[in-house]
Amino acid sequence: MNELLLKFAEAIGATWISVALHESFYMYGWVESIHVITLMLSLGMLIVIDLRMLGLWLTDVPASRIAQRLDRPMLIGFSIMVVTGVLLYVGIPIRTTQSLWFRIKLILLVVAFINAWLFRRHMQASVGSWDVAPVPPRRTRVAAALSLTLWAGVVCCGRFIAYDWFDCGQNNPAFIDWAAGCIAGEEGGQHG
Amino acid sequence: MSLLHYFEALEASPIGVFVKDKAATFACIEAVHLMALALLGAAVITSDLRLLGVVMRDVPSNAVTDQAHRWFKVALTVLLITGFFMLAGVATKCYHNPFYWAKMITLGIGIVFVFAIRAPLLRKDHAQLHPVTLKLVALASLTIWFLVAASGRWIGFSG
Repeated sequence: MNELLLKFAEAIGATWISVALHESFYMYGWVESIHVITLMLSLGMLIVIDLRMLGLWLTDVPASRIAQRLDRPMLIGFSIMVVTGVLLYVGIPIRTTQSLWFRIKLILLVVAFINAWLFRRHMQASVGSWDVAPVPPRRTRVAAALSLTLWAGVVCCGRFIAYDWFDCGQNNPAFIDWAAGCIAGEEGGQHG
Repeated sequence: MSLLHYFEALEASPIGVFVKDKAATFACIEAVHLMALALLGAAVITSDLRLLGVVMRDVPSNAVTDQAHRWFKVALTVLLITGFFMLAGVATKCYHNPFYWAKMITLGIGIVFVFAIRAPLLRKDHAQLHPVTLKLVALASLTIWFLVAASGRWIGFSG
């Protein structure tokens, strides 16, 4: 599995777009900057929705209205995050594939997505009941708090990818090397 | 004492040493800084997009901007505290970094803009204000905070 992922990363790394991204200081920097700054839109809108669900923001407006009105800007934000995120991966594919933080980040993203999907269904079923309540029911608040926690984890992991603490090829504990998918005898960490 | 000496003293202070001692300390402070940036974005973008008539047109804009301003102050406080700690760890590097100064200037403009112009204006009944005034304030606000965030990100690239 890890050998396959490494082969995939090596193939990506050999493409012209990967080389171009990696070697262009300004292009890579701007893709990275846009990824970070778009946090203000994607996570920003998510925070407004979640704080409404916690009964902390715009409590005099129906919860479903906030969620519906901010859905589009939030999804535009997340689309930019995905595009710039993929480009960041393409720019540095091998090291990212073998990054412990990148792997944890992806897992958290999947869990956050499942949570959001379940939440959306819960939301749709509730219009006309707790929708206008300033403080939504406990279950809603738990889902919103979980969402904010998961995204805080995503932000931390995303920032930590840039650090080389657990790069392959160092004297990491065996468990870390396993989780990061390091290949035995492979240099790792240095390239890409 | 020149300005540089203050930066050197900050880096040598217990705070500077605490932040620099472990790479993980700096990284965790950065992560909190980014989360507060997202909260700042939440406050700024919802009110500015509302003022521009892009989102939540069926929610009174006074309600949106009043409540957003409270969260803006929370976000700004966390950003200033974590930002100060980050500066303490790399103060002399920042002193010689043009992006650090670009960010401080835009940040200063942003704070003056928010508390001297934007907030007092938006406390008034928006229906009584000229629609173009509201839209210009929103555009200025989006531009300023984009520049603050962008120049902040580039501090790290040009260290």
